[in-house]
Amino acid sequence: MHARQRRWTALTLGLVLLAGGGLAGSLSNSASAQATYEIEPRAPEYLYARTCGYCHGHNIAPIIRGRNLPPAVISSIVRSGMGAMPAFKPTEITDTELEALSEWISQSEADPEEHGQ
Amino acid sequence: MSNGFSRREVMAIGGAVASTAALTPMARARMMPQDMDRDVFAAVVRELRAIVGDDWVFADEASTLSYRKSGIPDLRGEHVPSGAVAPANVEQVQAILAVANRYRLPLWPISTGKNMGYGMATPASSGQMILDLKRMNRILDFDAELGTILVEPGVTYQQIHDYIEDNDLPYWIDVPTVGPIVSMVGNTLERGVGYTPYGDHFFMQCGMEVVLADGTVLKTGMGSIENGNTWQAFKWGYGPYLDGIFTQSNFGVVTKLGMWMMPRPPAYKPFMVRSAEVSDIAAITDAVRPFRMNNLIPNAVMMMGALYQLSMFNRRADIWQEEGPIPEEVIKTLARQNELGMWNTFFALYGTDETIAATEPIIRGAFEAIGGEVLTDAELNGNPYFEHNKALMRGGLTLEEKGLVRWWGRSGGAIAFAPVAPAKGGETQGQTELAIEVMNKWGFDYAPAYVVGSRELHHIIFLMFDKGDDEQSAKAEQCMNEMITRFGERGWAAYRSSVSTMDLVADQYGAANREVNARLKQALDPNHIIAPGKQGIA
Ligand SMILES: Cc1cc2nc3c(=O)[nH]c(=O)nc-3n(C[C@H](O)[C@H](O)[C@H](O)COP(=O)(O)OP(=O)(O)OC[C@H]3O[C@@H](n4cnc5c(N)ncnc54)[C@H](O)[C@@H]3O)c2cc1C
Ligand code: HEC
Repeated sequence: MHARQRRWTALTLGLVLLAGGGLAGSLSNSASAQATYEIEPRAPEYLYARTCGYCHGHNIAPIIRGRNLPPAVISSIVRSGMGAMPAFKPTEITDTELEALSEWISQSEADPEEHGQ
Repeated sequence: MSNGFSRREVMAIGGAVASTAALTPMARARMMPQDMDRDVFAAVVRELRAIVGDDWVFADEASTLSYRKSGIPDLRGEHVPSGAVAPANVEQVQAILAVANRYRLPLWPISTGKNMGYGMATPASSGQMILDLKRMNRILDFDAELGTILVEPGVTYQQIHDYIEDNDLPYWIDVPTVGPIVSMVGNTLERGVGYTPYGDHFFMQCGMEVVLADGTVLKTGMGSIENGNTWQAFKWGYGPYLDGIFTQSNFGVVTKLGMWMMPRPPAYKPFMVRSAEVSDIAAITDAVRPFRMNNLIPNAVMMMGALYQLSMFNRRADIWQEEGPIPEEVIKTLARQNELGMWNTFFALYGTDETIAATEPIIRGAFEAIGGEVLTDAELNGNPYFEHNKALMRGGLTLEEKGLVRWWGRSGGAIAFAPVAPAKGGETQGQTELAIEVMNKWGFDYAPAYVVGSRELHHIIFLMFDKGDDEQSAKAEQCMNEMITRFGERGWAAYRSSVSTMDLVADQYGAANREVNARLKQALDPNHIIAPGKQGIA
């Protein structure tokens, strides 16, 4: 493949992937006016694996899956932070994304791969 | 520990979290800009909303809470923002700066605002509005032939990692130990460090775009050449080299940053040298230095103190319940149980199997000559402490070091002090002795890491304390001030500072330095709207 073409393809692919967290979708034209995940929310599993899961169930923080924690409590802890946990702002995880994430964590089964603190 | 939380307990925690703002004045999430009336502030907020939309201005207690969180002591409420505004593009940044100039609104720019150990997103003084650039989160270019990248402030290392994987590009990222949630731009502007051969981030930076206080958009280096294509290839451009003045500074808002990426090597071999005694640090430093100067060891070498490592995965109360700092013997025993020495030196070799095989014996010999045990995957595979640094030295993503922030308990608390020194044995020995003396005096544990860049070393001291205990927070603050001052008396100063000690450190760099910075500030931002107080620059 021609070098310039390869570079262009990489750029386009990246934007699509960022937009949907792996969801298929076409390149949004309004990417420059809004962060892409404000248009297409990223899936809860995707966000969990890329944020929460580095600490929770991974030696650093308590397991939060499979405990039926109330979604509203999860959301409020994410926004304020808690002890060693940093706060996550609406610019990092949108309100729409957080609602789905908290619901998903609350409903999700415990993951046997995860371990305590 | 808290895995067994009942639903009711969690509810209680959630409730407490949501209402902390109402508890004490010092816990308030917001404070008004100094000298600004409420109705003027309201007018500012209206204008900002017109620029970025209602959803992206945060100007009440609840929505500002996320920007208020930090792990450093702030007993007098000196780092409380007035709110936050989050633009989506350069034009909006310019429009916000125009409003700020008109109303004299101080703005504190952040990229991802995870400046942990240094104050996170909080400003140097209360009342500043956070200029949150996280929404500008595009990877604008990745040149697969040159291995260069151009990113916006909100791009995290996780995002770049995913981009490389998704597009199967033959490059590595280089991360600080907290890569997944922090930004390439914020980290590089703070002149942060990582652990592959590309670990000196500002060294690997190439070209930036800066919006000045008056709205001027400056592209540094080759970026301003019409039809140019060399912006990310050549650092120095023409005339005075300007990129440096926009790092650790308040002279502009950086909206794009170029970086060089490390080609993925065919072979990678991580090492850990185990040394038994605290006093071994001088000999280790002298053994490391020549290999950093001749580059036989190509990455920044980390000399990790046992307690720094142990504090990632352990709680203090599980190790020591008595008064005072943990005795050395206790640490030593626990270290041994975890296959660690009192210093554990990490480095790696990169290249082909043949080049590594040729280099390894030379380096082994030097460390064995000073009594170090040179260990590799063969001996330590699966050891969580080894695996942690093994991941970092190939740009792996982890947040395990955040564990040290909860050393004292649930409230967390850690503030970083990072003095630099020449990479010589006498220096590390002197710094370690002084740090132990001061920290133990205040009842804190010395949990160190040294990072040898090339001829210099960074001494990373995390002062871990209990932020939930005001008395201990006060001690942490006093201990930090004493450390900065006493190190200063010996000629050792920090390479970076938390928002709470910016003036103290700036003073150590002398009056002429402060004066020149003040003049630059006056020329570039005469209304002092961008991050007043940053690095001691008003
Ligand atoms: C346990 C632990 C381990 C750590 N390990 C490391 C490490 O290995 N290496 C390391 O370097 N750091 C480390 N840190 C410190 C810190 O978390 C990182 O440096 C982090 O990258 C900084 O946060 P950020 O990227 O979100 O930057 P931000 O918080 O977004 O930015 C930091 C500061 O830079 C300025 N700034 C940011 N963006 C802009 C902009 N666009 N224009 C103008 N000014 C701007 C602002 O003053 C801002 O406050 C560690 C912290 C902890 C607690
Ligand atoms: C940097 C590490 C880190 C990350 C990332 C992180 N957390 Fe946490 N979290 C913690 C720590 C540490 C605690 C425990 C604080 C304590 O000891 O009380 C915690 C506590 C919690 C709790 C309360 C659990 C309990 O049993 O008390 C919830 C819920 C929670 N986090 C949700 C999340 C979600 C959702 C995410 C992702 C958006 C996330 N966290 C990301 C470190 C983290």
